[in-house]
Amino acid sequence: MRNYPLGVALAFALALSFSSQAVPQNKKSPEAAKAASIEQAHDLSGVWMLDRPRLITVVARYWVYEMNLEEPPMTAWGLAQYKATKSSFGTRSYPLAETNDPIFHTCTPPGFPRIFLHPFPMQILQSPGEVLMLFEWDSMRHPIYTDGRTHDTTLGPLWMGDSIGHWEGDTLVADTVNFNTKTWLDRIGHPHSEALHVVERLRRIDHDHLVDDITIDDPKAYTKPWTGQLVFVLKPTWTLAEQFCEDQETFDEIENKETAPGK
Amino acid sequence: MCKYQLVIALTCALCFSPARAQDKKPPSTANAPVSGQSRDLSGVWMLDRPRLITVVARYWTYEFNPQEPSMTAWGEAQYKLTKSSFGTRSYPVAETNDPVFQACTPPGFPRIFLHPLPMQIFQTPGEVTMLFEWDSVSHPIHTDGRPHDKTLGPLWMGDSIGHWEGNTLVADTVNFNTKTWLDRIGHPHSEALHVVERIQRIDHDHLVDDITIDDPKAYTKPWTGQLVFVLKPTWTLAEQFCEEQDTFGEIENKETAPAK
Repeated sequence: MRNYPLGVALAFALALSFSSQAVPQNKKSPEAAKAASIEQAHDLSGVWMLDRPRLITVVARYWVYEMNLEEPPMTAWGLAQYKATKSSFGTRSYPLAETNDPIFHTCTPPGFPRIFLHPFPMQILQSPGEVLMLFEWDSMRHPIYTDGRTHDTTLGPLWMGDSIGHWEGDTLVADTVNFNTKTWLDRIGHPHSEALHVVERLRRIDHDHLVDDITIDDPKAYTKPWTGQLVFVLKPTWTLAEQFCEDQETFDEIENKETAPGK
Repeated sequence: MCKYQLVIALTCALCFSPARAQDKKPPSTANAPVSGQSRDLSGVWMLDRPRLITVVARYWTYEFNPQEPSMTAWGEAQYKLTKSSFGTRSYPVAETNDPVFQACTPPGFPRIFLHPLPMQIFQTPGEVTMLFEWDSVSHPIHTDGRPHDKTLGPLWMGDSIGHWEGNTLVADTVNFNTKTWLDRIGHPHSEALHVVERIQRIDHDHLVDDITIDDPKAYTKPWTGQLVFVLKPTWTLAEQFCEEQDTFGEIENKETAPAK
């Protein structure tokens, strides 16, 4: 399932082409080595799992419900939205049955970038024109088109946004716009508007780690752009499992409790 | 479009010394099975009408074969309980007991093929991944040599492994749960369902899936259908979430409204 050997094979082929003999060389030419290195760096594929941020001392496991430990600078509108939410996470949490988190009551899609915070595996599949993120949670899908297309302004507001990307050296820069307003930004209830603009810089810092430096830019909800960092660790033996929100007993219980006659 | 093929072609080409250009003769196809054009199945595909068949009704949007499959007594009993919104014995949507319409339950596999929305195939060395626009469902076919995973509980989409025979992908799927209909007209299946597909790209723009349904609890013998897909080079999978559809909203509202 690893694409790593592809880069080596390509480098090998390139090395052979530079040689006048049919005998494989022991040394790669500098061009081949560089090509191999870029090929590897552009390979984000695999099954990944959200991991604790690096180099940060943390008190609470904030990365399973928000993207930055510090409270982001909200506008008056943003703060009003935030105050209306009742999340089951964090310091001001509510019991599940009392939360107004849209996911818990109706299996509404979590949307993007919230989906990153649901601690289930995420698989990246890559083709020349597309980096596709598949999430185990409810089979969510987030394609990042890298074929040079521009944002599709004919698309209506989307749960996962419209994402296009390009490479800057070894970093995939992904730009996502065109969000609907039916989701929370994260699992603790931070807000976003239809003006949300997400920019990510994704880099595979070593074989087993993927870092996503994510910038939240939403002038209606926040007074200035702010950033978070998501770190993913490779799970070479994992496969995405089936996960359908409607299957979960918790949601059934809440729904049954809600529709039961009042006592 | 597939990096894997390009690399293989490149490395194999370089294995031969330049002075000796091979003049390749195609292998004898006298007894060979018909095989696809290439192993590259990737792209965005849309269910199309079957080829070489005269049809009266658009059966391919709700079942795999216009002929009624031969059901066991148990299978017949299950089938009679269903109230589908398709076919000759159809019910209005509000009266159907189709689990997909009632609760946005996942359609499962292989029913998902029949929902006339695009399907994207993503190929990597160890996996052929089918992505369906309908409700964001995905169906991975593992081609890395692994056997079926017996530790998995019953699945909506089954557990699918595949291998290549020439340019035909043979996919074997087992381990289904019993919460789905086999198709959109209500044909049954049990947990014993075993689906075998032979998938080939017969030309650049067409993918053919010869699908065999083998379920001794529901059917007296295995039977087959054929799905044909046409390539849609300019299409992209859109977002589609079942809960959003007005139809389902209306049905749910009607069901939870107080009785009049």
